[in-house]
Amino acid sequence: MESFFLNRYPKAILHIDGDSFFASCEIAQRPNLKGLPVVTGRERGIASSMSYEAKALGVTRGMSVYEIKKICPNVVILPSDYETYSLYSKRMYEIVRRYTPEVEEYSIDECFADITGTRRIHHASYQKIAEKIKNELQNELGITFSVGLSATKVLAKIGSKWQKPDGLVFIPLKDAPAFLRKTNVGKIWGIGPQTSALLNKKKIYTAYDLATAKEEYIKTFLSKPFTEIWRELRGEAVYSVKAGEKNIYKSISKTRTFTPESNDRKRVFAELSKNIENACIKARRHHLSSDRVFLFLKSNAFKYCALEIKLSIPTNTPSGIVVEADKVFNKIFNENTKYRATGVVLSNLRESKIHQASLFGESVQRENDTKIYEVVDKISAKYGKHSLFLGSSYEAMVAPSHRGRRGEGAKRKDIIFKGETKRKRVNFPYLGEVV
Amino acid sequence: MIEKYKEKISSFYKRKKRMPSYREMGTLLGFSSTNAVYKLVNKLQSEHFLKKDTSGKLIPMNIFGEIKVLGLVEAGFPSSAEEELADTMSLDEYLIENKEATFLLKVKGDSMIDAGIRDGDMVLAERGKEPKDRQIVIAEVDGQWTMKFFRKYNGKIFLEAANKKFKDIYPKEELNIAAVVRAVIRKY
Repeated sequence: MESFFLNRYPKAILHIDGDSFFASCEIAQRPNLKGLPVVTGRERGIASSMSYEAKALGVTRGMSVYEIKKICPNVVILPSDYETYSLYSKRMYEIVRRYTPEVEEYSIDECFADITGTRRIHHASYQKIAEKIKNELQNELGITFSVGLSATKVLAKIGSKWQKPDGLVFIPLKDAPAFLRKTNVGKIWGIGPQTSALLNKKKIYTAYDLATAKEEYIKTFLSKPFTEIWRELRGEAVYSVKAGEKNIYKSISKTRTFTPESNDRKRVFAELSKNIENACIKARRHHLSSDRVFLFLKSNAFKYCALEIKLSIPTNTPSGIVVEADKVFNKIFNENTKYRATGVVLSNLRESKIHQASLFGESVQRENDTKIYEVVDKISAKYGKHSLFLGSSYEAMVAPSHRGRRGEGAKRKDIIFKGETKRKRVNFPYLGEVV
Repeated sequence: MIEKYKEKISSFYKRKKRMPSYREMGTLLGFSSTNAVYKLVNKLQSEHFLKKDTSGKLIPMNIFGEIKVLGLVEAGFPSSAEEELADTMSLDEYLIENKEATFLLKVKGDSMIDAGIRDGDMVLAERGKEPKDRQIVIAEVDGQWTMKFFRKYNGKIFLEAANKKFKDIYPKEELNIAAVVRAVIRKY
């Protein structure tokens, strides 16, 4: 592995990861929750994020509220407030962009940044830049982040995981072997349980074992993506940081869980219809259209029933999709089964407007829909999302997605300031009341 | 084929009000190598569709076809109204210095009434700032947010209300100042 010693940072890649992101956003608004076990996800009945205090008590992601209460009765369980988390997320990207335009919005609580070649403009070493970014994020957002700096994305990700929470870990290539020796292959970004089990069978246990294996050897049993990970571990930047706001989607999906579970066709279809409308809103925002629509239902036994619809012309308006979905809905819906979630995936996305005329006059219909939805979007921009919706979505639009205590929504959803409405609020995170 | 590329680039420009970077152009047009993008850019430059500035960034030339170019030339002579407006700012810019660090709070009670801050007012406060004497701050007291004047007097730090009915607050331990108040908004 002598290549490790050539240059400390041939490229300088940061991975920045919000610690217990959702729970931290909640605690940042409510100082009285500091130091307590806090869990979010009450509305779904399972933990979506938990504070380190809750983790210490054994709470894990996906654990049910019932189980959580059994192992720690004093836990604070809050409904998720995705609007607030998204606002924090956007701010995280913006703060990192002060240092480099090359920021990849990897997920709601993580991003990659390429800071190669920025030392001179910031008058600072890569380590110092990483530290400054971390401090700005923490001071301005009031939550902690773990940051890893190295020469590749895979190595930077090992760095950010190294000492969570509140970590700042540098892995210059000369130190990489020491880190890799202490990293199990299963902990490497992109290596799942299946591959990790296979690697173990081949006597490859640590990231170091993998990085030092001969290329010809690993190629005999691993596919191309894994040889890329192998190169990244050896310090060669294969994956570039994909800058820009995340708007190049391969697919758009919308899923929603509702309670109580239901076997009422109208209610379940309305949920699906609402998801279709939401997915189309997102597609229109990004000027994308789809001609492959994938629909699914999830039963209370967590079984999925799914099917795919092919459309003759790519679209991003819901009316046509809902009509098609209605025709085939009975193939996946069974009255004797209770359902807890529905979902839709728009795939095969392409830029809108470049489509061919269909032979069957559908094109005219689609164009009319496009015009209608231009107006719908304008109305939504003025009066809020879902000011106008399809009749088929009615049941889902009027019913809260969750009844009972689980139905209590996030605090910010209530009208707080004069001039705000149920549908539209000022786009700044809310810290609560001040006396 | 080149017409199709032009169409995509101009629709990107219309949408984003800027030209794509080389990398974005690669994704936009489905090129896997930047080299291919360079070649195309050179071709488009020779056709006066776009041009490279001194730092290599792209600027649009004829991207909306021949007629629209006149519009671009016209933009060189802004009307006097446009010119005057160049020195104005939006209410957002006026109220907010550091957007990423600014948060909303809602006033409860009348402890700051003599500073003109009423129950129900919207407060814009900025995190991560070192407070100065007599600035209004958001502090954490007994697990709750409180808004008071920050006072530093003879080396002693305390919080002072803008209402005679409230006593000064002397912190027992470390005082956590979360944010400095930048603006108070009241909508009628």
